[in-house]
Amino acid sequence: MGQIVDVTSTPWIDSGDAPPLALDRDKRDIISQGVADPLVDYDIVPLTYTNSRWSAFFYRASEADLKHVLPKCLDLEDDVIEFWYVDHLHTGLGPYGEFGLTVAASHKAGDGKTYYGGYYPYMYLTQDAAVFAGREPFGFPKKIAYIVTQEHGGKEDDGYGGFGNDYFNFTMERRGYLIHTATGRYDDAELPAKPAFYGDPSYGRMNLRLITDPSLKTTKWDLTYLPSEVTKATAAAMGRPETEGQHRFQLKPESIRTASAGAIRSWALQGTPFDNMGAMLPVKEMIGLMTFSFDLIIPGADTIWTQTIERTDEDIADLLFATPYVYTGRQRFPKPPGV
Amino acid sequence: MADQFAVTYVPGMDSGEIPPSPVDRDEKTAFIYSLVDPVWDIDVLPLTYTNSRWSAFFYRADEKRLRRVVPDCMDVEDDVVEHWYVDHRNTMLGPYGEWGLTVAVSHKAGDGKTYYAGYYPYMYLTQDSAIDAGRVLGFPKKEAFIRTLEHFGNPDDGYGVYDGKDWKFNQFSFLMIRNGYVIHSAIGKYNDAELSAKPAFYGNTEYGRMNMKVVTAPDLSKSEWQLVYLPSLVDKGLATAMGRPETEGSHRFQVKPESIRTASPENIEWFQQATPFDNMGAELPVGEMIGLMTFSFDLIIPAGQTLWTETYTRDATWAGAAKPYRYGLRHRFPKPVGLGA
Repeated sequence: MGQIVDVTSTPWIDSGDAPPLALDRDKRDIISQGVADPLVDYDIVPLTYTNSRWSAFFYRASEADLKHVLPKCLDLEDDVIEFWYVDHLHTGLGPYGEFGLTVAASHKAGDGKTYYGGYYPYMYLTQDAAVFAGREPFGFPKKIAYIVTQEHGGKEDDGYGGFGNDYFNFTMERRGYLIHTATGRYDDAELPAKPAFYGDPSYGRMNLRLITDPSLKTTKWDLTYLPSEVTKATAAAMGRPETEGQHRFQLKPESIRTASAGAIRSWALQGTPFDNMGAMLPVKEMIGLMTFSFDLIIPGADTIWTQTIERTDEDIADLLFATPYVYTGRQRFPKPPGV
Repeated sequence: MADQFAVTYVPGMDSGEIPPSPVDRDEKTAFIYSLVDPVWDIDVLPLTYTNSRWSAFFYRADEKRLRRVVPDCMDVEDDVVEHWYVDHRNTMLGPYGEWGLTVAVSHKAGDGKTYYAGYYPYMYLTQDSAIDAGRVLGFPKKEAFIRTLEHFGNPDDGYGVYDGKDWKFNQFSFLMIRNGYVIHSAIGKYNDAELSAKPAFYGNTEYGRMNMKVVTAPDLSKSEWQLVYLPSLVDKGLATAMGRPETEGSHRFQVKPESIRTASPENIEWFQQATPFDNMGAELPVGEMIGLMTFSFDLIIPAGQTLWTETYTRDATWAGAAKPYRYGLRHRFPKPVGLGA
């Protein structure tokens, strides 16, 4: 009775598999809280991904719907959107599943330059470090969800050497509600359209980050921009000068599979009390599915537009929407067991 | 395209239980992202909790170790730490499990005033909205698998026992796992003993709570550290904003005295370890176990006040610590399937 066992060794630090504790380093090497044990530490920088598997549904959405979800600093460039899942196998943040929706947009900067980018109004992931590595510095609007990405069938499986990938299944759930599911079989058809940013290196990626002060009195809006090509600084920081000018996203052409709209057997997308994507961006015309494998680099981001919202005490009082100690539909859902 | 199913309304929005999307509101009311569908929204404010169940192990830790996990702008006030789990049943952020470690500290502010507080070097939760809402206030929250269990000692007829209002269960089990590694487990049996010591902030309204928030620029060129302070008492502004003026001056944390259970050290079996992802077990092992105290409570969390800031900058030569496209032990762990299903 009353045994106390504390295992206080950290052998992975001695071997160099993990960086020294944040407490034992220069403070400039701490990029995330808690400062004693950061959620996201500097052993993810530079952030690289190897052999991830991307599955993107392309569909047309209503222009009015698309403009509705874009912030005021962005203009819509295309009505074909990318609705994608990723199975990340090897990354600087470990393995995780991911979902996102990308809209082709542009921003006219103060200096007259127009920036083009894929903008993400919605993103979901399965893992905390990847969620907050995306959210906190860069502004990716990530939430956590249950995500399944599956390719299987079409090939005899003897237990060695892989299995087929003719059939696909994608499912995303959050807080007990199904957000999306789709199933079908690849037919390797030529798809009649793709989003504007496919194959166009003038399109980077954009996020809108909102940083609210602990007092709630200010919120700073930052439009962040990631260029599509590896810059000289990123190439140098990686110790790979030969990558300068290459696309950050290296697609493996031999890995591409496609499914035409008719080969997508089932598709369900719905708004839930917690997630409004199904209500905001329903399918107007399904184009098809494209799946491929890729490597990726994510660098630091530029901030190309900013505004700060200030709130008086009266404004903050107006924010108080809830009735104290009274709970309704948005506070009733299955308690998650964590990951 | 064979079969397509689309639900294009948001349940609860027509009834007013859910606020409109921030893209359909005054931009002053948008304070977290995404802009169109925030991970948490204004319907969490004011942030209140009802009938949560707190289970706190008290132990003495080595003072040098405590000094190490507390930032330089604070002084350690007590060697008794609180190592706690919470089962949150009813909150504006929904239900979730939580774990934290609280150290009694103080901060001498520029104006000569000394602020006292419980400071959190480590926290874990089971749910994304609660993690993010906390991180805005500087709480250092990560996500983990958390179990809090009280059972045995009371016959269960299937009605009324597990409603959270019966505190007669005698056995407890607590477990926390992240990325496949057990961080902590403790089991045992309550004996309702008087505990020999408590952390300095127990029952002391001078002690608020403190967090160290780190805000990093998108280009990683700088990080600002912000020491955030939450006072322990409901102030007039918060009481008024809640429409409950009678709460002014009351503690934000309302313990239900009739719900308290305790266990002395000989009734606790304890295992804690550091992992490749989480260093708490290495940094703050038990010096002397004091015991466990479990109780139910209601809570209000207000906005915070920033007492101190410092900015660290990085020049173009700063390149992090990873090897591009090379993955080590910290990148190999079970792929999480997410939450829920």
